[in-house]
Amino acid sequence: MLERLRQYVSGYVPLTDEEFALLAENITIRTFGRRELLVRAGEKELYMNFVVKGLVRMYFYNGKAEVVTNIAKEGHLISSSAAYLSGQPSNYFVETLEATTLLSLSRDDLDKIYGRSSRIERLGRLMTTFFVLQQEEWEQEWMRLDTRERFVRFVEANPELVSRVPQKYLASYLNMKPETFSRQKNLLRTSRPPAVKTGKP
Amino acid sequence: MSRSIASYRTALDHLHHYLARFIPVTKQEFGQILGFVEIREFDKKIKVTGEGQVERYMNMIAWGLARKYLPVRNREMTTQLASEGHIIHSELSFHYQVPSAAVIETIEPTVFLSISYDSLQALYDQFPKAERLGRLLISDLFVKKDKRYFDQLHKSTRERFLEYVQTHPQIVQRVPQKYMASYLNIKPETFSRLKHLMRPKKGR
Repeated sequence: MLERLRQYVSGYVPLTDEEFALLAENITIRTFGRRELLVRAGEKELYMNFVVKGLVRMYFYNGKAEVVTNIAKEGHLISSSAAYLSGQPSNYFVETLEATTLLSLSRDDLDKIYGRSSRIERLGRLMTTFFVLQQEEWEQEWMRLDTRERFVRFVEANPELVSRVPQKYLASYLNMKPETFSRQKNLLRTSRPPAVKTGKP
Repeated sequence: MSRSIASYRTALDHLHHYLARFIPVTKQEFGQILGFVEIREFDKKIKVTGEGQVERYMNMIAWGLARKYLPVRNREMTTQLASEGHIIHSELSFHYQVPSAAVIETIEPTVFLSISYDSLQALYDQFPKAERLGRLLISDLFVKKDKRYFDQLHKSTRERFLEYVQTHPQIVQRVPQKYMASYLNIKPETFSRLKHLMRPKKGR
């Protein structure tokens, strides 16, 4: 379980065994059934979570409508990260969609280990940078791509999520009406459109 | 665009204060950081980073005004307005060193305190303390940005307008209306209608 986390982390900074042990000994393994709320709007976000198994979504309410802003599968981080970093109440809900196992690190524990290793501090900096970039990318896609491009790009990057995530959540995440989403899905089945340029490295 | 040494000194003091909000930074440490910083001056309406160019710098505005926008099908979608003390750059391009989708353009004559990608990496390598500073600074930017996205999706046009006007009075006076309307994602017609809310109320 921890091996997977180690792989993920070394994508940012290679840690020595001692440094990784420092991280590992502060991690809590948390398991949840499907459809459990990890955080509600108004609550504090205590954890940064790495998904070992399962599927988690983040959303907020716009009036009565749920707006999905993030979907995390195995090997991804999920947290109401702005709340985690700021200590302020969360604007978002975080909920499991499947039975889920998380490796979780509390903010207090993280702050403690930052003081003990500048490489872990660097890891923290790079992860935080990654959050900013993820947000930026999301904004750019939202503005630059049309519905069809957004759909194709998402499906190519996450083919298995199309069958795992309820359609209405995917539609919400891609900012599409559910009808448009099913139409796109049918189109995809009948004709493979050319790949969309991503501008990603 | 000539300014006195004193106004540069003021801008550098601001930078020092800004950094010291995150961790204590001594005069000597700040001096060391400054060794990595470049001063860059631009006239108004200059594209500092163009679409397709690789962003080389992270900039803090010493004085002036700049915006970031995305060119989308003959339209310019403004995603950031930045004035004195704000950080502005094309983040994705800077971090991954790939061509930028966004444009950074000055609105007024502007002076940037800039750090290049290479200098920033060198700074992190030479000063472990910079890791913490960088982490906290980026974290602060992220939290603010997240709030903006959330508000954009969550608040009404009128709420967005009023909140922005109240929290950024100095920018409102200086930014052309069409950029502000684009930034707040408000139609120009609606924006003109909301403008009467901006006039200061009597007795304040």
